[in-house]
Amino acid sequence: MAKTVLITDDTAFMRMTLKNVIEKNGYNVVGEAGDGEEAVALYRELKPDMVTMDITMPKMDGITAIKEIMKIDPGAKIIVCSAMGQKPMVIEALSAGAKDFLVKPFDAERVVESLRKISS
Amino acid sequence: MMNDAKLDFLKELANIGTGHATTALSQMLSGRLFQLVVPDAQMLPFDQAADYVGGLEQVIVGIFVVVSGDVRGHMAFLLPVDSALVLVRLLTEDDSGEINELARSALQELGNIMITSYLNALAKMTTLLMAPSVPGVAVDMAGAVWQSILAGAEVTDEVTVIRTEFFADGEAIEGHILFLPDDDDFKQIARMLGLEEV
Repeated sequence: MAKTVLITDDTAFMRMTLKNVIEKNGYNVVGEAGDGEEAVALYRELKPDMVTMDITMPKMDGITAIKEIMKIDPGAKIIVCSAMGQKPMVIEALSAGAKDFLVKPFDAERVVESLRKISS
Repeated sequence: MMNDAKLDFLKELANIGTGHATTALSQMLSGRLFQLVVPDAQMLPFDQAADYVGGLEQVIVGIFVVVSGDVRGHMAFLLPVDSALVLVRLLTEDDSGEINELARSALQELGNIMITSYLNALAKMTTLLMAPSVPGVAVDMAGAVWQSILAGAEVTDEVTVIRTEFFADGEAIEGHILFLPDDDDFKQIARMLGLEEV
């Protein structure tokens, strides 16, 4: 059975782009969240195998969402996909529990590579 | 008050930041875009900057953020609507010529990536944190877009305006990057880069 992924990004364009890439590579996108709050709620409901997480979002940012999801599931597999690649942010995300940090813009292959790495 | 040292410094910042932003933009468009000209950086009085970008009545797209962290201020990426439509077409394959919801979303992401890449470059050089907010998008006459961008901005004497031109898919695209760090923070950037007298 295909591994399931929850996509989180505040722009519909990015969610669409990620969904296309991820599904083309054999994964099943089971949910899309537009902000951190939605991501946490959908994680609880859908229990996806993996999550992609943006950082800068309205209502609840990605770092807070990562922390909340890790509380629900300490084994959660979260990849950050954000334009905000400054060192303090990367460190904060990884400390909060993210398994990888991809700085936008990234190639499709990079996302897939990261998903493969964390799902094994 | 502007002086030569300040202008040289800001041109250097502009080159570095815009270089990174353009690389990011080009990558986003799978290499189908490249920069035509060396970015032209100016510092303009507040009330002249809007006009410089293309006249108050030209319809433009503006993607804008508030910057927080060690450096606070405002940043925006502005382009004429024709240029925006070329980029929308390249990103979404929609050539309807309309700024519909998906087009706005694509432009928001494009602006986000450009502005954040610019800030990332400066942040790396200065080791100062510069975090952009969720971007706003405005499609309107330049005068109105200007109001949206500057809502809540510190009234400063001068705005940094960087003009750049790209070439993508057989068409020329013009864009302006606006950078308005709060005055004290601009001095902080200069100090971190070893420039005392700016």
